[in-house]
Amino acid sequence: MTELTTPNPAQTTLSRWRTTVGHMMGTRHGAIGTVILLLLAMTAILAPYVAPYTPLQQTTQSLAPPSAAFFFGTDNIGRDLFSLLLYGAQSSLLVGLGAALAALLVGGTIGILAGYFRGRVEVVLMRVIELFQTLPVIMLVLCAVALFGSSFSLLITAVALAIWPMEARLVYGQYIKLREREFIAAARVADLSTWHIIFREILPNAAQPIIVQVALDASIAILIEAGLGFLGLSDPSMVSWGQLLFVAQDYMDSAWWMSVFPGAAICLTVIGLNLFADGLNEIVDPRSSRGMGGLQ
Amino acid sequence: MLRFILQRALYAVPLIFVIIVVMFSLLYLIPGDPVQALVGDYPVPPAFRAAIEEKYRLNDPFFVQVGNYLASVVQGDFGFSYQHQRPVLDLILERAPRTILLASVGFAVAIPLGMLVGVLGGTTTNPSVDKFWTTTALVAYAVPTFWLGQLLVMFFALRLGWFPTQGIGPLVSRAHGLDWLLERVRYLALPVLAFAIHEGMRFARIMRASVIDTLAQGYIITARAKGLSRGQIIRRHVLRNSSLPLVTIAGYAFGSALSGAVLLETVFTWPGLGLLLVDSIRLRDNLTVIGVVIFSAFAVILMNLVVDILYALLDPRIRTSG
Repeated sequence: MTELTTPNPAQTTLSRWRTTVGHMMGTRHGAIGTVILLLLAMTAILAPYVAPYTPLQQTTQSLAPPSAAFFFGTDNIGRDLFSLLLYGAQSSLLVGLGAALAALLVGGTIGILAGYFRGRVEVVLMRVIELFQTLPVIMLVLCAVALFGSSFSLLITAVALAIWPMEARLVYGQYIKLREREFIAAARVADLSTWHIIFREILPNAAQPIIVQVALDASIAILIEAGLGFLGLSDPSMVSWGQLLFVAQDYMDSAWWMSVFPGAAICLTVIGLNLFADGLNEIVDPRSSRGMGGLQ
Repeated sequence: MLRFILQRALYAVPLIFVIIVVMFSLLYLIPGDPVQALVGDYPVPPAFRAAIEEKYRLNDPFFVQVGNYLASVVQGDFGFSYQHQRPVLDLILERAPRTILLASVGFAVAIPLGMLVGVLGGTTTNPSVDKFWTTTALVAYAVPTFWLGQLLVMFFALRLGWFPTQGIGPLVSRAHGLDWLLERVRYLALPVLAFAIHEGMRFARIMRASVIDTLAQGYIITARAKGLSRGQIIRRHVLRNSSLPLVTIAGYAFGSALSGAVLLETVFTWPGLGLLLVDSIRLRDNLTVIGVVIFSAFAVILMNLVVDILYALLDPRIRTSG
């Protein structure tokens, strides 16, 4: 992106985004990823209208294999697996998005503080980030959810806790790099406020790699949520794909469909997010255009 | 060098204290009767209740309790598991070697696999070969390990019957020598495969990027100019120089392997630390839960310390700059 600061950010941001969307559909990964994500979002929103059964509705047939009546079969208590999968998209996407945004908020704030202000703040905050990166955070998350019971908001908080350090490191790196550039020196000479420099001068130039990271964070959040569900620790009032796999564990010898379809749904979502991030990254950093961009 | 080691070790100590304090605070925050929270869902006889209150000083202020708990953990006393009727430390020491076995065999397969795939993808001149491996790595990365485990069990254990579905070994084993080893390998095969596919593909991505970086270096051109063959260049120059980032990642991947073990051990009912944690969570055996987490954190910190020191030994630049 251009390093120039422009007098009318609103207009250029809009046109910049319009070109981004155009470029996005031009990259193969970006296009596939976007389509997958759009389909999933529609599934989540339309689930109550298109699902043949409600999540709690039990049919008379339990453990029925996939057929014309039940596309993906039924589970051990006779619920239609296809409907459950449609509803499951809601909690997966909500946790993915919610945790990624929460991680952006926490990681972003800490990254900006450490990267822009440097000095002692930087030393302390980097230690905190390091602490969270070395710990088996997933285990802590597991404990928190296990000890305090599972609610949807706790789940999002816990997952965000596990992923924010990556976001913080990226934001930190961007700010530390950009704050030394000439246009920031110019902004300082022009006596613009620190607040203005951080959010109006640096942020627009740092935004795109950060957005790539948010997409990757969301994919990791979905995997963690699935893992918690698989351990039986998801919010019991919502259907989640991980929780379906938790139940499937006991029926591996009799009902393969209970495991295969929810797992495939998780895979598809994570692949969609990764391809989306890849496509986005290709536009931001054309050098990494060989499909491995943004991956850690 | 000694100074560097001491410095890193001193840095690890406060980390461990922070973890113990955080974990005990979590326990403290659980609503309801603290004795019940420590013991789990069991009827507590009055004598035992009095002993617990005495031991953890539950009637004293919070900081006294934390200090007290800290002191006992430092002495290796993680408390007593009412569920298992054994000290928590005993349980942990019994389970930990099994998790370490799974993780080390897993890494032993995943690292060469990742290097192989990364070198194949990075050095090929055929774009479709590269694309194939890149896509495979992407898909493998998106597959949750526990689901991969379920698929492997359903196909290789239940359908084909080649491997056992779960566990670390038969209840009663009469095998000796080589047979005994083969028996163990059969039980290890599926969990290791699930672990190696997931981690290996993560390593492959890093290796590939690193190989591409290395190939752009001047000394590769020199090597080519000297008339070395493609295979020689890859073996002598590329492999060695591009493995460094992988070594770093593999060293620090220990922590994520421990976390991953929780899911993997659940799928295969592998009786390691991860399964102990999950079972204890289900039984609300909170002293064991906290013991396992503190122990794992301790292991991770120790492992990172060892990795740091190894690097300083290998690369003088690190110890002088730190």
